[in-house]
Amino acid sequence: MKPITLMRSLFAACLLAASLGWATQAQAEETLFAQIGGEPKLRASVDKLVEIMLVDERINFTFADTDIDKFKSLLYDQLCELTGGPCKYLGRDMIESHKKLNTTNEQFNALAEDLYKAFDEVGVPYRVQNRVMALLAPMQPQVVDKIPAKE
Amino acid sequence: MAVRSTVLLSLAAAFAPLAQAQTTPSSAPVTSSSKSDAPIPNPPRNLIVPDRGKLLLTGGFSDVDGAGGGGLVPWALITGYGTEDSYGFNGHYTQVNLREFELRTYGVGIGIADRVEISAARHDFEVTGAALEGLEVSQDIFGLKVRVAGDAVYGQDTWLPQLALGAEFKRHRGIGNAGELTSPRQLGATDEDGVDLYLSGTKVFLAQSLLLNVTLRHTKANQFGLLGYGGDVNDSGKFNLETTVGYMLTRKLALGGEYRQKPRSLGVDDEGDAWDLFVAWAPNRHVSVVAAYVNLGSILGPATTVDRDQTGSYLSVQFGY
Repeated sequence: MKPITLMRSLFAACLLAASLGWATQAQAEETLFAQIGGEPKLRASVDKLVEIMLVDERINFTFADTDIDKFKSLLYDQLCELTGGPCKYLGRDMIESHKKLNTTNEQFNALAEDLYKAFDEVGVPYRVQNRVMALLAPMQPQVVDKIPAKE
Repeated sequence: MAVRSTVLLSLAAAFAPLAQAQTTPSSAPVTSSSKSDAPIPNPPRNLIVPDRGKLLLTGGFSDVDGAGGGGLVPWALITGYGTEDSYGFNGHYTQVNLREFELRTYGVGIGIADRVEISAARHDFEVTGAALEGLEVSQDIFGLKVRVAGDAVYGQDTWLPQLALGAEFKRHRGIGNAGELTSPRQLGATDEDGVDLYLSGTKVFLAQSLLLNVTLRHTKANQFGLLGYGGDVNDSGKFNLETTVGYMLTRKLALGGEYRQKPRSLGVDDEGDAWDLFVAWAPNRHVSVVAAYVNLGSILGPATTVDRDQTGSYLSVQFGY
């Protein structure tokens, strides 16, 4: 009797696990890129981010030398590719692109904060914003400490 | 042209020399003079002024013992908004109103290089109902915490949480307004003073908007140390588990719950575990507020003849720089 109960529990557990797996898979079919709202929302977010960061005195001076249109386009490509969208980022890697800079943690976080604000203004839900941030946060060692990415 | 646009991205893009600082990029000159591969020095920083560089909510709050954490539980996060490149400090006041008791705690904390945290706090505890009305207990707490591994926020690509080791040195200031009763030793405690040691692991699961903290504490403290250390039931100390689960609703607002085991070493006290449900709000990097429904379990039930759980409100305000 007890073994049977155990078997049933195991079976139920398997069912539960399977359905959970299925649910995650179903959810995974919609890319983060799509959850953001696809190209229109992501482009609007990047435009808004640039607008915000250029008046953010913690970091704006660092873009004095930057071709803003090119920056927007590359940032869009990178975020698009990172979130599973139909793009290919062809810019330099994060160590290479920050090689000549002494980016501080404050500056790294300032841009993250500006991106949060940009997403807010464009109407990307906070939960989705955090999913994007989860992909960007691990770049901190490369951007700030110039430590190569894992793998 | 300015296509060396260094950065392609990422958080925190490029940082040009201070000399080129300007706030109107539309007129940014296209310079070809900086073709050299020599590193660009960052603008000189004032090391005296905290950088306030962490993201909101990641500075943590001040827990009941004055350490950076939630309400009842210390986290592995280092208090304040200073990053690895700087420091941050804060002061807090917390008021806990229970059914028969009241606890006021206040103190200061400093976080250095996101690595070391030092805190000092005072507990003022008062019986506001029941048999021992008017009785007061007070203690001082000095806290030290060191981050030993991981980063709760940046480490999104690893399972390793941020880990910190901490110590709380508690010094009893006596019992007042209770006649002959002046020391927790008279209640059976072995010592008036004691040291808690803990290991905390904290992780922010950004993709799920969750914060998870688990703390393992070795302690002999009776009722947070207010009733001394060790006792007739147990005198060697215990390993207690504490945990916080938080859900971030917005960039500035989180809610969650906490659980903290207590050692139960005194025969005269039916010390119960504590838990809370909290709302935490950080409107900016200078102010944060935690409001909670708290249950500190039974406190001195046999002595006060009130052996119900001590439930009530918890309100903590923190100011920092």
